[in-house]
Amino acid sequence: MRRLLVVLSLLLAHIASAGSERCVDDDRNVKVCLDAPAARIIALSPGATELLYAAGAGDKLIAAVSFSDYPDEAKALPRVGSYNRFDLEAILSLKPDLLIGWHSGNPTEQLAQLEALGLKVYYSELRGFDDVSRTLRRFGELAGSEPAANAAAEHFDHGISALRKQYQNAESVRVFQQIWVNPLMTVNDQHLISEATRLCGGINVFGNLPRLAARIDHEAVLAANPEAIIAGGMGEENRSWLDDWRPYSGLLAVQRDNLFFIPPSTLQRPTPRLLSGTRMLCQHLDTARGRR
Amino acid sequence: MAAASYHTPRLLPALALLSLGALLAVALSVSTGSVAISTAELWAVLQGEGDPLHHTLIFDLRLPRSLAAFATGGLLAVAGALMQVLLRNPLADPYVLGLSGGAAVGALSAMLLGLGSAAVSGSAFIGAIVSAITVFGLAHGTGSWTPTRLLLTGVVIAAGWGAVVTFMLAIAPTESLPGMLFWLMGDLAYARSPWPALTTLLALSLLLLPLGRSLNAMARGPLQAAALGVAVKPMEWSIYIAASLLTALAVTTAGSIGFVGLVVPHMLRLILGNDQRLILPACALAGGALLTLADTLARTIIAPEQLPVGVITALLGVPTFLLLLYRSR
Repeated sequence: MRRLLVVLSLLLAHIASAGSERCVDDDRNVKVCLDAPAARIIALSPGATELLYAAGAGDKLIAAVSFSDYPDEAKALPRVGSYNRFDLEAILSLKPDLLIGWHSGNPTEQLAQLEALGLKVYYSELRGFDDVSRTLRRFGELAGSEPAANAAAEHFDHGISALRKQYQNAESVRVFQQIWVNPLMTVNDQHLISEATRLCGGINVFGNLPRLAARIDHEAVLAANPEAIIAGGMGEENRSWLDDWRPYSGLLAVQRDNLFFIPPSTLQRPTPRLLSGTRMLCQHLDTARGRR
Repeated sequence: MAAASYHTPRLLPALALLSLGALLAVALSVSTGSVAISTAELWAVLQGEGDPLHHTLIFDLRLPRSLAAFATGGLLAVAGALMQVLLRNPLADPYVLGLSGGAAVGALSAMLLGLGSAAVSGSAFIGAIVSAITVFGLAHGTGSWTPTRLLLTGVVIAAGWGAVVTFMLAIAPTESLPGMLFWLMGDLAYARSPWPALTTLLALSLLLLPLGRSLNAMARGPLQAAALGVAVKPMEWSIYIAASLLTALAVTTAGSIGFVGLVVPHMLRLILGNDQRLILPACALAGGALLTLADTLARTIIAPEQLPVGVITALLGVPTFLLLLYRSR
């Protein structure tokens, strides 16, 4: 009788745990299944770290890679190398139950090796606004922090759709998006930055270039004569890239003083901060419209 | 090298022809770019009229860049020719003694610290000079100073710099990587003002002219040079200092552009013979013209996108050099 009870309780426990199995599709459309909410997560890209914190799973995060600098708590996390070369031994010794990989950024062989060693790897690859909220929800499910994650996802979606509604009929502004200075670099229409630009009623003057991130010369910018120039910069408070354009007084953007700075981490990374970066971009383009 | 059968045309016609080529290269470079400017419009701009956009393109962007390309190419070719004389080794180029490695470490450090482009140029120059002094000091060491010893010291120091550069690339944040890689490949987009490089090129070319005869003797080896009355040690010192200075300025202007310094002197020797009185000014002109042309192609082939100029110098130079070598039999 006693034995039967033990067997029965084991069986029940098994059923209970099976009931809590959670599966989500990752960005390769491969199912990632966990028996229980992940409690020991390692994020293998700075973006994944930020998304996990936003999804309310920050307390489950046990390690990250270098340059994971947002939010502030992330700076205190132990490091397992950089996103393009991580320390497999350090990862194994931390006994994680979930790894968030970066499909196009992490070395494929190292991720495969970690999977072969029996670790669960979620491959993330965010390309647009929709991916941000979808990933937040998935992370919430994997880490058992659904309420926080769903709230963050909804906040993001609402913010973006409000901006979309506000600017859907706005007059278009021709924009040059400068992402680097030496060499001078911009992005084409496939880039996240261009999705944000379109949403705000902007047109990327280099949208048709064949490469996602392209190296161009000053001459091409002068010929395109954009109405506004948006630049990131080194660090978060640096306007020197914009001041480099001032001597070119023939540029419409210079004549109207439409030289705007947006912190690169808010517009170039697919994370919830994209909402504030996009909002800033929309306001700047509106300022440019007001200067016509 | 000296044993090959060279024909030696007269100095002046050869230099006049090269000057014409150099002028044409600069003219071509100024008149082409991602924006098409017709000859009539170009003429109007040169008269001080015409579209202000065209004026900006030509005087603020294209002309300084062409001149910087010309000066850099000239500096590298002259430095290469001097190194080949000094080391008596046909494989010597301006970078063989580790100068570009020192400059790269300087420039990349400035980039890692997030400093602006003036600081990048400045620290590249300091890096190059530090490297030159280190190599010279170590090769000099206990007193015996031979080209072989200098070459070995330089090559080992260059390898050391190479390791430091790789280390820096490995720890650099992703967003600064493209800038660093383009610097390492060499790129005229960094060129601020062409004047320091251009005036140094002119001044050193004039200074080297009266030394042509001694350099010819040096190219035959130190014993022969001494027998011909050349003070070998001071001569070696001055060649080393001149070549280092030229290379440091070139690297500071445009990053480490390969190939020009190695191949241009050889090409000219195959055509003009190994007379340093002719070769050095010819190197200044031909190196300048080659890099100006290469840079023009690099910024127009897939315009508005830009290619690294080092790709083009090699693509232009390799077949030309092989053809000359093949025909020299």
